Amino acid sequence: MRTIDWKEVEKNIENGRFPQWLVTDPEIYELEKERIFGRTWQFLAHESELKEPGSFVTRMMVDDPIILVKNKNGEINAFLNSCSHRGVRLCTEDYGNKKAFSCPYHGWTYNLNGELIGVVAGNKVFGESMDKSEWGLRPVPRVESYQGMIFGNLDPDAMSLEDYLGEMKWYFDIMLGRSDGGMEVRGVPQRWVAKANWKMTSENFAADPYHVQTTHRSAVELKLTPSDPLYASYGHQVVLSNGHGINVITSATGRSNNIYQGMPESMWSMFEKNLNKEQLDIFSRVQNFVGGVFPNLSFLSSCSGTEGTKYNHLQFRVWRPLGPDQVEIWVWYMIDKALPEDYKEKSYKGFIATFGAAGTLEQDDTENWARIVEASQGLMARDRNLSYNNMLNYLMGLDNLDPDENFPGPGKAYPTCYTDHIARSMHKYWLELITKEPEVKSHE
Amino acid sequence: MNSDIQYEISQFLYYEAYLLDHRQYREWLELLDDDIQYTMPLRVTVDNKMGSNLNTEMTYFADSKKDIEIKVERLYTKSAWVENPPTRQRHFISNVVVEPGFSSNEYKVRSYFLFKRSRSSEAKTEELFGEREDIIRKVNGKWKIAKRTVYPDQSVLSVMNVSMFL
Repeated sequence: MRTIDWKEVEKNIENGRFPQWLVTDPEIYELEKERIFGRTWQFLAHESELKEPGSFVTRMMVDDPIILVKNKNGEINAFLNSCSHRGVRLCTEDYGNKKAFSCPYHGWTYNLNGELIGVVAGNKVFGESMDKSEWGLRPVPRVESYQGMIFGNLDPDAMSLEDYLGEMKWYFDIMLGRSDGGMEVRGVPQRWVAKANWKMTSENFAADPYHVQTTHRSAVELKLTPSDPLYASYGHQVVLSNGHGINVITSATGRSNNIYQGMPESMWSMFEKNLNKEQLDIFSRVQNFVGGVFPNLSFLSSCSGTEGTKYNHLQFRVWRPLGPDQVEIWVWYMIDKALPEDYKEKSYKGFIATFGAAGTLEQDDTENWARIVEASQGLMARDRNLSYNNMLNYLMGLDNLDPDENFPGPGKAYPTCYTDHIARSMHKYWLELITKEPEVKSHE
Repeated sequence: MNSDIQYEISQFLYYEAYLLDHRQYREWLELLDDDIQYTMPLRVTVDNKMGSNLNTEMTYFADSKKDIEIKVERLYTKSAWVENPPTRQRHFISNVVVEPGFSSNEYKVRSYFLFKRSRSSEAKTEELFGEREDIIRKVNGKWKIAKRTVYPDQSVLSVMNVSMFL
């Protein structure tokens, strides 16, 4: 097989062409795990999932099992979910509360700070070479949070989470920091396995309102969504730093039919207190926020409801790669703690009716994501010489769109959501990371 | 349980499965009572001391009759891509246990399900399995499902979507 010509890849990406072989190539997948997922901030949990000291959840950072646990001081730490003795997966529970974690193999026990506190028959069987302080659980090198969203990073030298999120923080403040008391996750995340490549699912949320009219045409046929083919285009597609992006979808008039996404008036004074003028302006006009944090965290803040009244619902989702053609989907539904219970219930119903494994909109997405990988694995699609014109088209807005200088939020905002600006930005950041050789650390 | 009732209800569940497997969704709707509550909570992996390994705070769906009607009508549109071209589905229903319900015409019915699906020309098939708890009642001489809770056995579903009725 021909070696990878990164210069050629770069030239194509610059010109809005993404070589199709990059989607599912096994060598690319291995590089992605090491150079993208090994270096970027991965979403682990929302703070509301860890209420008491001893509360824990287990998560995955691609193939690394992780325990996230709150200690007695209320600090949240993340460890590799693997006993330091023989490597056994320490905890197979999804969540719970513990005073300590005990390995079922030989009984080694760790406290909530990950310290090894118990070794069965320790003094009788281990000699002086065994120093318990050296054999604690191995921590995830970096764990940081913003607006209650906890992320981990396997690269100890990575930039801070806040620097990484950059301009996205401003939009997170609207979605997550608007109300007093913050957000809470309802129950546990939905999880299921779909046939898809993680890049394509991430793009679908971060960069692609253009798919809405066709993929979700059944909703138009049922008169649940407008028949105007441009309806998901109104508003701005905003390119943010580090491959992140957000679509601020409004309407043909530039306004929303439901101020503050259908939130009850009792909440408005909180919004006015917690958000600045520009944030309020955008929040009052938006119908849908849909976007992503590179590489594989996506979000959607939308409105649902059939009888005139609309209810806002917010979801975050991780596309955990299981291979080049498979993802495990994790979807968290979140809601403002301060909302009335009746509103929360209706919001939740609107969410599960449309999104999640059984959501009417999401079902058709899964079909299209499967079809991408099904048609991207043969000799023609995988050809590194590009002899079959096997390139995917990201030309939308390449040469016919200028940023809107009057957009009140940070980032580079283009005056339509039907453009590939975020996708191209994701491709560029992907290329930057995947071509960066790992640093060889000298031990002097 | 009266063996006639056991037989009638079992046959009713097999008939229901037949309608779903043959995509007669509008006919299937007629088997649901107007006040039906149709939900599917999440299975989770938790320690025995937690008691239940179901999380009912989150569900895959929590549908009323109206919600189900929308889902059914969607499957008759031209653009419900997930089922057009249609998948091939089988609902295997077994272990039917019928117990008396709250009133003389109502029964609590437990059954196991194994759902298999073949999509496109894929050789690999998908499956879902678990248990259902139903309230089934006789309305004007016809059996109707008044409540159904679907308990999947997997905490991570291995189907690419839940487009099917269970």
